[in-house]
Amino acid sequence: MDERAFARLAEEYAGRLYAVAYRMLGHRADAEDAVQRALLKCYAARASYSPRWAVSTWLYRALTNVCIDELRRRRVRTDVIDAGTEAGEASERAPARSGRGVTTAAPAVERLDLRRALERVPREARLLLSLRYVDGLDYRELAKIRGISVNTVKSQLARGKAIMRDALRAGGHDGSN
Amino acid sequence: MDRTDDTLREIFAVTAPPTLSARILAALRAPAPGPDTLAERFHFEAGERGIRRLRYGRGRDVAVGRARRHVEQARAELAEYLAGGRTFFSVPIDLSGIGEFQDRVLARAQEIPYGEVTSYAEIARRIGHPRASRAVGNALGANPVPVLVPCHRVIRGDGTWGHYAFGPAFKTRLLTLERGTPLLVGCASTRIVCRRGCAHERRIAEHGRVVFASVADAVSVGYRPCKVCRPRDRAA
Repeated sequence: MDERAFARLAEEYAGRLYAVAYRMLGHRADAEDAVQRALLKCYAARASYSPRWAVSTWLYRALTNVCIDELRRRRVRTDVIDAGTEAGEASERAPARSGRGVTTAAPAVERLDLRRALERVPREARLLLSLRYVDGLDYRELAKIRGISVNTVKSQLARGKAIMRDALRAGGHDGSN
Repeated sequence: MDRTDDTLREIFAVTAPPTLSARILAALRAPAPGPDTLAERFHFEAGERGIRRLRYGRGRDVAVGRARRHVEQARAELAEYLAGGRTFFSVPIDLSGIGEFQDRVLARAQEIPYGEVTSYAEIARRIGHPRASRAVGNALGANPVPVLVPCHRVIRGDGTWGHYAFGPAFKTRLLTLERGTPLLVGCASTRIVCRRGCAHERRIAEHGRVVFASVADAVSVGYRPCKVCRPRDRAA
């Protein structure tokens, strides 16, 4: 893969990678930093890229590795960061909810409940949920990205979804069917 | 697919800032740093029981007989650490001759996990002298083996670096290095998780590397800890 091909790739995927990173880290600057570090790592290792892999799998593996390690370091200071970003996100979302009836977005207050619910989901399951719902990846690709079995992907997703469903129900979202 | 799926998809929708890819492309085009000879500028003083002192700059190693082996090991491990290939040191350290208070402070500093930071006040609290953060700072400042005993992972409560034996720029450099290096690496084919720097970790192929945030996380998705480097989660 030459430099120009990689640059095209980076441009194409930056947005999707950012969305996953943001859902994992809950912080815009950290998400940008993670995407940049992941792409730089891939760029440095582009010679070892094998076409046996889907490009997206390769990039997502690098991104999740960076994000997960960031979360490891953050363990102790999670509370501080979340308090800051939740307030930030609520204000960013505000314009979207002013056009009532036009948008289907949930009110900001409920979104905060959902964010808290998401934080209750164990790290590995949260990562899989982010990949699945931000980019609609299938079980096999998720398994390959995290180096785990397809069955583990299924059980982790089911666990994460159950926690989220309970939270949605409790928050009056009626997320169950 | 049920309504939970739809709701989740809606919650998860995020839009990236428009200038993101341009900034990343600029970073990709930045020149790569040249080869690093930093590790050669460290000098060790060792006794038979382990490394006694680490110095930076001009000087020479002080070791005779069996102590030379410790120096060789320390130099190799330090070079790997500075290149981001190692997250822990296994060379023995000989801290005999230092005071009891400093010994306790250094033992606490030794427990700070790779890549994380703590404050002087927190260490003071943990050793049972909550008002002694300045004394903790002095004890760390007199650390005979910086880097090996990670006093660079201790910063001031307000987030500033504080004093460092090799200067604040060096402290920044070490903390940045640790920020960009994962600690726990799993092998996707053997499903074993190692600490970075373990002999087995080094053999994991580039495409088989999966990073974990904790050993418990890795176990929850079917990995087991390596029996050689024995990764463990720190007690909360």
